[in-house]
Amino acid sequence: MRLVDLPRTTSFQLALRFLLLFGAASIALCGFLYWQTTYYIEAGIDDWLSHEQAVLAVVQSSTLVKRLEAHVVADPTLERPLTLFTADGTRLAGTHLAMTAAELTAVPMDSPFRFVFHQGAHPFVFRGLAHRRPDGDVLLVARDMEPSHKFVEVLTHAFIIGGLATTFLGLTGAAVVGFDAMRRLDGVTRSIQRIVGGDLSERLPTHGRADDLDRLVLVINGMLGALERLMQEVKGVCDNVAHDLRTPLTRLLAGLERTRRHTATAEDYAAAIDDAILETRDVLKTFAAILRISEVESGARRAGFTDTDLCEVVADAAELFEPMAEAKGVRLLLASSDSPALMRGDPSLLFEAVGNLIENALKFTPQGGCVTVLGFARAGTVGFEVVDTGPGIQADERDAVLRRFYRGETSRHTEGSGLGLALVAAVARLHGMELTIRDALPGCRITLVRHDGADSGIGKQPPADPANSNDIAMKPAAE
Amino acid sequence: MYRLLVVEDDRQTAAEIAAALADHGFTVDTAETGREGLQKAAAETYDAIVLDRMLPGGLDGLGVLATLRAAGIDAPVLILSALSAVDERVRGLRAGGDDYLTKPFDFLELTARLDVLLRRQSAPPRETILRAGKLEMDLATRTVHHAGRAVDLLPREYRLLEFLMRHAGQVVTRTMLFEEVWNYRTAEPTNVIDMHVSKLRRKLDPDGADPMIRTVRGAGYMLRAAG
Repeated sequence: MRLVDLPRTTSFQLALRFLLLFGAASIALCGFLYWQTTYYIEAGIDDWLSHEQAVLAVVQSSTLVKRLEAHVVADPTLERPLTLFTADGTRLAGTHLAMTAAELTAVPMDSPFRFVFHQGAHPFVFRGLAHRRPDGDVLLVARDMEPSHKFVEVLTHAFIIGGLATTFLGLTGAAVVGFDAMRRLDGVTRSIQRIVGGDLSERLPTHGRADDLDRLVLVINGMLGALERLMQEVKGVCDNVAHDLRTPLTRLLAGLERTRRHTATAEDYAAAIDDAILETRDVLKTFAAILRISEVESGARRAGFTDTDLCEVVADAAELFEPMAEAKGVRLLLASSDSPALMRGDPSLLFEAVGNLIENALKFTPQGGCVTVLGFARAGTVGFEVVDTGPGIQADERDAVLRRFYRGETSRHTEGSGLGLALVAAVARLHGMELTIRDALPGCRITLVRHDGADSGIGKQPPADPANSNDIAMKPAAE
Repeated sequence: MYRLLVVEDDRQTAAEIAAALADHGFTVDTAETGREGLQKAAAETYDAIVLDRMLPGGLDGLGVLATLRAAGIDAPVLILSALSAVDERVRGLRAGGDDYLTKPFDFLELTARLDVLLRRQSAPPRETILRAGKLEMDLATRTVHHAGRAVDLLPREYRLLEFLMRHAGQVVTRTMLFEEVWNYRTAEPTNVIDMHVSKLRRKLDPDGADPMIRTVRGAGYMLRAAG
């Protein structure tokens, strides 16, 4: 932080701009006050002059001379001069004004005017009113402007001092605000430099003021948190991909090496090559599954959304897996609902999600068990559900099973890539559906549901737990 | 013998595709750019064209396809693409493509699909009765007879058999079956398709006297064309 940077800070410039605006407004206000005050004082004096003239106008000339002489004696100062002079400028009575005859004869009649004369070095400013009497003499009533000028002077001084104080305080305030902003931004900059340097756990500093900068910092910190989590997920996925692919590749290599060492006949070679092909296909399939999840997660598939009936998708999936259920000795039931469950979505992805869930359920449900699937739409929700009577998923594993390559304790030795539920989760996210895993006592109930069925236009029935409702007719998947 | 053109910018991939197609009995020419592909397609008559979706230079796969169709070249085109999104597929087919295959793919899948495309060219239009060996399918009444005996099929089994019969004598992959019969575009659940085919087999031939549907190892199925 350097002092030369201060004028460049936004806060300082903002404060300075406000100061300029406030200064301009103050100057305008002072000017108006000044103008109004002087006008008021002048008008008061003019009133007094007219009143004095009116009083003296009706006084006889001889009496007037006496009164003027008395006035000079009573008030020898030049504060309120009263002078009677002839038309040619000769003073008859009253205050001695250091004015020439020419100056006196030039005064305007019956309208207030301003005049100045010097006594010594000091200039006296007066406001006067002259009136020509019937006998041709002129009476000049005047008033020294010095006291009112004093008042205006004090007022002006007050204005100037106030202005200077305001400017000083304003500049100081702007500097303080600017320095504060610079200090906070420097803190943020240092944090960002550490983050760029690779420390992703670093967060930008806040000051607990909940002001605009703090709000921005909180949002950025939230973003950094999401980024850190994603980076760790990516790293986790990379580790898992490496780990999961190493196993089949090692097996492949071992098989090929064994073939190289021991094989004698062409049939043996052919069999070994077929094994290698199958192994390689599995690896490719795993790659394809990872790519599909990435594709779904990127949201690119949203472009292919159409109006999809979940009931139809669920029925198709149940029908597809019916032979598998039959082979395992598990009953696969399709709970049919009366109304279609319409939502915007990618039917193929939804089909794959339902299929994965059914396949999983069939895999873990023991012989004689039962897997129930259903699509539903009611009271602003639309979704589907797969319930099995298998061992269920432990509560502490329910988040983990949705991660790529996660294999639960019970499934560690069964076939599968560990990607099925991760894809289901990705499809759910793409469609804005909520995925919940619950206990079906015994077994597992996995529900994908989309709230706010506003765009599906369906859902007039009251909300109910789909699997526990009695209005659903159960029937085998392939009738 | 069929002549095929492969337009693929990656030289190694192109060589592998060409080798696989040659092994299958096709004569294959390759082109590395869209421009070269267009020149070759215009200069010679090909029975089918395998076209990569992403090609370097200004002319990509869809551009080549549009130009081909505008020039009146109507050989069936199979598009290869690394993009699997449904709308990509739709765009490819709308631009005049006849089939769409997502990379990475199996060469057996590619040759099976090309067989179907080539056959479609020469297939007689619209029969109402399909026949393969002792099998007879009446498309109008939706009934199936095997050696004169009526076979009762579920709707899905009927569609499965219809697809196999329409491509009798050709290898049909599980992916093709899944796409055509179930009409969803996803990674197909392999085992389940096999189970459906087994069920169909048992219904057609309960005592195993006349196995019609043969499993092609590593590829898919084939319905025997003649008794």
